Amino acid sequence: MYSEHHVPTVDDLRVKLCFICREEERYDNPEDPPRVWTHPCSCTLVAHESCLLQWIQAAQQDPSKAGNALKCPQCGTRYELESHNPFVLRLLDNVNKSISIVGKFVSVAGIVGIGVSFGFGVYVVCTAYGSYAVKVFLGKEMYDLLLTDDLSNWPWHAFVNLPFIPLSLILSRTRFFTSLPLIPLFLPWASTPPVASTQSMMAARWNPLVRKAPVYPSAPLFGWPPSPIVITIAYSILTSFYRRGYSTLKHWILGTPSNAQHTIREVIWDLGGHARIGVNINDGEHPANQDQQAAQGEQAPANGDAGQEQAGDNDPGVVAERTLRVTNASLGRFISGALMMPTIANCMGAILLRLSRHSRLLQRFLAVRPPMRGGVPPTLASWLEAQPWGEMSYMRQVATGLKVALDLVCGGTRTWEECDPVWWRNSIGLGIYIVAKDCIQLLHLYLAKRELETRRIKNRSFEGIDVKELDLIDRSLRS
Amino acid sequence: MSVSTRRLQKELTDIQKQGTPVGIKLLNADDFQTWHLSLEVLGDTVYQGEVFALKFRFDSSYPISSPAVQFVVDDTWKAPVHPHVYSNGHICASILGNEWSPVLSVISVCVTLQSMLASCKKKELPPGNDRYVKNAPENPKKTRFEYHDDNV
Repeated sequence: MYSEHHVPTVDDLRVKLCFICREEERYDNPEDPPRVWTHPCSCTLVAHESCLLQWIQAAQQDPSKAGNALKCPQCGTRYELESHNPFVLRLLDNVNKSISIVGKFVSVAGIVGIGVSFGFGVYVVCTAYGSYAVKVFLGKEMYDLLLTDDLSNWPWHAFVNLPFIPLSLILSRTRFFTSLPLIPLFLPWASTPPVASTQSMMAARWNPLVRKAPVYPSAPLFGWPPSPIVITIAYSILTSFYRRGYSTLKHWILGTPSNAQHTIREVIWDLGGHARIGVNINDGEHPANQDQQAAQGEQAPANGDAGQEQAGDNDPGVVAERTLRVTNASLGRFISGALMMPTIANCMGAILLRLSRHSRLLQRFLAVRPPMRGGVPPTLASWLEAQPWGEMSYMRQVATGLKVALDLVCGGTRTWEECDPVWWRNSIGLGIYIVAKDCIQLLHLYLAKRELETRRIKNRSFEGIDVKELDLIDRSLRS
Repeated sequence: MSVSTRRLQKELTDIQKQGTPVGIKLLNADDFQTWHLSLEVLGDTVYQGEVFALKFRFDSSYPISSPAVQFVVDDTWKAPVHPHVYSNGHICASILGNEWSPVLSVISVCVTLQSMLASCKKKELPPGNDRYVKNAPENPKKTRFEYHDDNV
């Protein structure tokens, strides 16, 4: 017989009935291979640990069910999970959550802002943002030369290009246009001559130095720092290699098949509206899932119809990735992240500049120059005026014109060469930032995956439950 | 055999062995994807004398994922007029959505819906019924209901 103090546990039950799969196991007829049983709460429900973990995982992925995921449906006791959940993972989870909250505010503010200023505001807002981005990314000096705060100085294409900057920054985050962010920031400006502000006009007219020695208007193509077009091309090539490498590394770390397409699976437009009834677009078709069903030899007819959310794949890697996606899926976070890029680039550039004060090598690499002296560099016009056009043949005139135009597009104007190349260190800084961010995200995914893999549910004894209610194995007969 | 099939097989055996609660009858359970049950509210209620049919649809991850449950609306069957039942048969009940738990079963869902009908004092359609019915997806699980009433 039991001693007074013996508190029975799940292992003392004569018949165990899993409340999830409804399968039972008798003590005198154990299953082979054995499955772990758990009694996670304060009532009489018991379950296979694997069934319960599967349920918790599925429920946690559904934001509406997540609150009940760790509660016993009968007695309401909270399950205690034991897993490898290091401080870093909790920190990353919290940071991730709070960024999402900020993202929500941004999207609400953005919607309000767009609504208020719709008629004429969108264009102005986008243009203003674009000019801000140019200022931040190319540096104040370049901004003053190319655009200035005075709208009347702007070259005609600024009014087309600037409003596209925020749009292309946002598009560049969608994985389809990875090389976009830099293009509108660089390309049109490479060939733009300095603004013909009164000051520079005066300088060009009256400064004898400029008058006398007209300089070829374009900067050399392969100088250091690289010209804008070289940066743009190198950036897109590097990005595509980097993306490929990153995705291979990610799949290797998470142990997921690299061909699986997870990107499209969870596109839920949840903008937090309070419509009484919202229709949730739930595209239940995903290849991994169907493969698995086929492997199990069961053909579900009318596939994709009977709401098969999260059927099948419980691979922790996939789940970790998807769970992160769901919390990430905030439009505001996405957009604000994109619009922050020039500012981030500027901050990183400033950090690099500060670092370069301690390192000659870095200073050389960044090609840091003191701010331009001696006024505005010569304009294209002054060089053109100085050319002996009359002495050239017609063909030669055309060829010279074309060459100058091409050199301008590729190498940028001399302004680019003579100014402090803020854009160069900002590009480098942005690259460092993107890599660092991806590393952190990868770490987060890896830790989340490990947390899922190491999960165990804390088993409790039947303390507090009347022993007579339980169908226990009679130990005295066995011994 | 998949987990959902095994679990439904057990539920079916239990129904065949122990029978169903009063007012609930199994109409058909020919496969493990769709079941039909009939539901009648006994006693003195606004639905006296009415019989309804419930359609259960299960996917392969039942009971981890909830079944899709709705009242049958066709030539033979009508949905009950109830503030939580749309005229196309879709039901706004939290146990079918965010309160679903694998401890529930086909029979316990029927019993809950039976008591939901039994406690109804006045037959009326849910607010916004027409709008919902016009736009509703075929599968009620694809609707996100907001549960504003705790005693559903």
